[in-house]
Amino acid sequence: MLKSALVALLFTAASLGAAFAESTETHQGTAQSEIHAAAEAEVPHHHGEISDGHEQHEATHADEHVEEHEAHSITHLMMHLILQLAVIIVAAKIGGYIFQKFLKMPSVLGELASGMVIGPYALGKLIDIPTLGLLFPLNTVHDFAASPQLYGIATLASIILLFLAGLETDLAAFIRYSVVGSFVGLGGLVAAFVIGDLVAVMWPGNGIDSFMDPAALFLGVISVATSVGITARILAEKRKMASPEGVTILAGAVFDDVFGIITLAIVMGMAKVSAGEGVAWGPICMIALKAIGFFVVVTALGLIFSRKITALIKRFKSKDMIVAVCFGLALLLASLAEMAGLAMIIGAYIMGLALSRTDLAHEIEHHLEGVYNILVPIFFCVMGMMVDFIAMKPVLAFGAVYSILAVFSKVVGCGVPAFMMKFNLRGSLRIGLGMLPRGEVALIVAGIGLAGGVIGPEMFGVAIMMTVITTMLAPPLLVKSFEGGSGLRTEMAGGEEDIEVIELEFPSYDITEFLLNRFVRALQAEEFFVHHLHTEQPTYRVLKDDIAFTLVEEDNKLIINVPHANQHVARMILLEELLSLTDLLESTKQMKDVDKMGTDLMQGMFA
Amino acid sequence: MNLKKVLSPDAVWVDLKADSKQGVIEEMIDRLVASGKISDRDAVLTAVLEREAKMSTGMQNGVAIPHGKSDSVKSLVAAVGLHKEGVKFDSMDGSPCTIFIMTISPTKRTGPHIQFLAEVSRLISQPAEREKLLAARTHGEIYEILTGK
Repeated sequence: MLKSALVALLFTAASLGAAFAESTETHQGTAQSEIHAAAEAEVPHHHGEISDGHEQHEATHADEHVEEHEAHSITHLMMHLILQLAVIIVAAKIGGYIFQKFLKMPSVLGELASGMVIGPYALGKLIDIPTLGLLFPLNTVHDFAASPQLYGIATLASIILLFLAGLETDLAAFIRYSVVGSFVGLGGLVAAFVIGDLVAVMWPGNGIDSFMDPAALFLGVISVATSVGITARILAEKRKMASPEGVTILAGAVFDDVFGIITLAIVMGMAKVSAGEGVAWGPICMIALKAIGFFVVVTALGLIFSRKITALIKRFKSKDMIVAVCFGLALLLASLAEMAGLAMIIGAYIMGLALSRTDLAHEIEHHLEGVYNILVPIFFCVMGMMVDFIAMKPVLAFGAVYSILAVFSKVVGCGVPAFMMKFNLRGSLRIGLGMLPRGEVALIVAGIGLAGGVIGPEMFGVAIMMTVITTMLAPPLLVKSFEGGSGLRTEMAGGEEDIEVIELEFPSYDITEFLLNRFVRALQAEEFFVHHLHTEQPTYRVLKDDIAFTLVEEDNKLIINVPHANQHVARMILLEELLSLTDLLESTKQMKDVDKMGTDLMQGMFA
Repeated sequence: MNLKKVLSPDAVWVDLKADSKQGVIEEMIDRLVASGKISDRDAVLTAVLEREAKMSTGMQNGVAIPHGKSDSVKSLVAAVGLHKEGVKFDSMDGSPCTIFIMTISPTKRTGPHIQFLAEVSRLISQPAEREKLLAARTHGEIYEILTGK
């Protein structure tokens, strides 16, 4: 975290420097163009054909033209953009850091909050820079809180975010795992969508009167996507990831991701058709079919040909090239999706999903991490900047109800299927609460709705409010719900709650890290699915058939939380890897004398 | 895990005879060679003994899991043998071993190698199952007990 804050700081210093240099350059450029304009204004004089009055008018016109030209010149716009980015990156990273470190909340919320603070509806309209004007002016042309160029960068960030989300999807595990998970995911999805849409329709005075109204559809889809990152962190902290509830939540979340994207695709299409009067079911069905068709066909083609395509790309031999070409393909599919009437993020997600099954997935993820860390906070910060507090005032009550129902819809939508399968009330509540937080995808969808004019600034504000409330409510509620006994029904329990904690402490972090990597590789060699979860502590979810356990690296410790019934396999594989350390020690003994190697290395350096 | 997929009826024996740790390991490998499951006896023996040298695979309650990795096998080879009298096997609890589960796995191929050992161990960690196994009189009975579930 400190590292990325430092990187952000360096990045900002660099862009500030660039903006400053650009500013001096622009002044020089202006001086030059003034001379040029003056020379131009003099041209008619030489011809002596135009009267003095005319001449004066021409000269003033030229001056105005120059000023206008200056304000809109590409360099000037870019300088403004770079300065904005400088402020945004630092503010977003600091906000994220404060939220994560001190408030123990996801950094997304901090990034959003800093956007709200520096945006054009708050401090942004107070920061006036000489020769530049407002730092964050309202984009009056598009009636938008961000300039097209800034929004362009945010869009790129959202594409990267969804591309990586697709890439991290464990499709094989998703297909093989947990019937309960898929019912839970589907239940939550349907309930959240219908309730989110209906509350918009039933609330008086917001101008939405039909279920098929595009704004209502958007409010429905915004409340669908669960952001399971925060739940995963809490499950890991509470050592509950391998519990039946934990496994179900994580499986449900994968389902939620994939089907949330499909729902978005359908709604995007529907919103376009039903923008006119009345509900035209024919075109809507066509659009829905087209959206599902696009998703299924492109994903299937992607999965079938991904290995062939990557084999082709691999001919470049350079990892940088490979990653760049794959990212290029993601951008290509994103724009194709938009052309097909869907959203760009859908295309990016599908490309990620297609590549997730190839051996390049990890490589691409790793290479894009740096870009992700810099760009994605910009996206969230820009989303925060768009929150118009004044526009939100009249809809605060609606926002509160919408948020509360968003809590209710997931708890019930996910809880009921869980209860019908094998969980008791306590377990069902845990699962519902685990699926509660909305995050990245909700924000992206809200942003798309706002940019497309489907929802206004007030509904955008409501969406942000819901995201913030659900994300903040989830951790304390979830922690509280995990107090008490088993979440399984008595007849199902059968000691499943019996989680063994295996702890191994090593003398140094390096050895811990080394053994963790060996263990992960050994598990993969045994054909386990090992899924890396993006939590603060390196955490892995290990799955195979009915075996599920988690692996956490904590300082110099390796902690395995495994159900009692599966402990044999975890212990035995770990033992083999521990023993392989002795092989390594043996082989280091066979190495040339280290002193001698060191001397050879430094030989002649200080001669 | 379906043990039937890995364990074949001609690789379960009720009558191991050797009276030493090395002897039992050699006997099991020889039987696997005789049934055509292993071709390079010495390579496999070396692999198993190397693993034993790192840490004995004699566990508790008379269970031992000698195993090794060798490229002389193309896929996982597994065997289970009983030695009614028990053999000293440097086990963790010091008691002689009566149940031997052996696996030889290829070094590079992925597959549920250790998982097989773990599954059998899990099964016989229940005292009732262990006793049932030790009471078996024929090869077929062992096979039934291990794969019947």
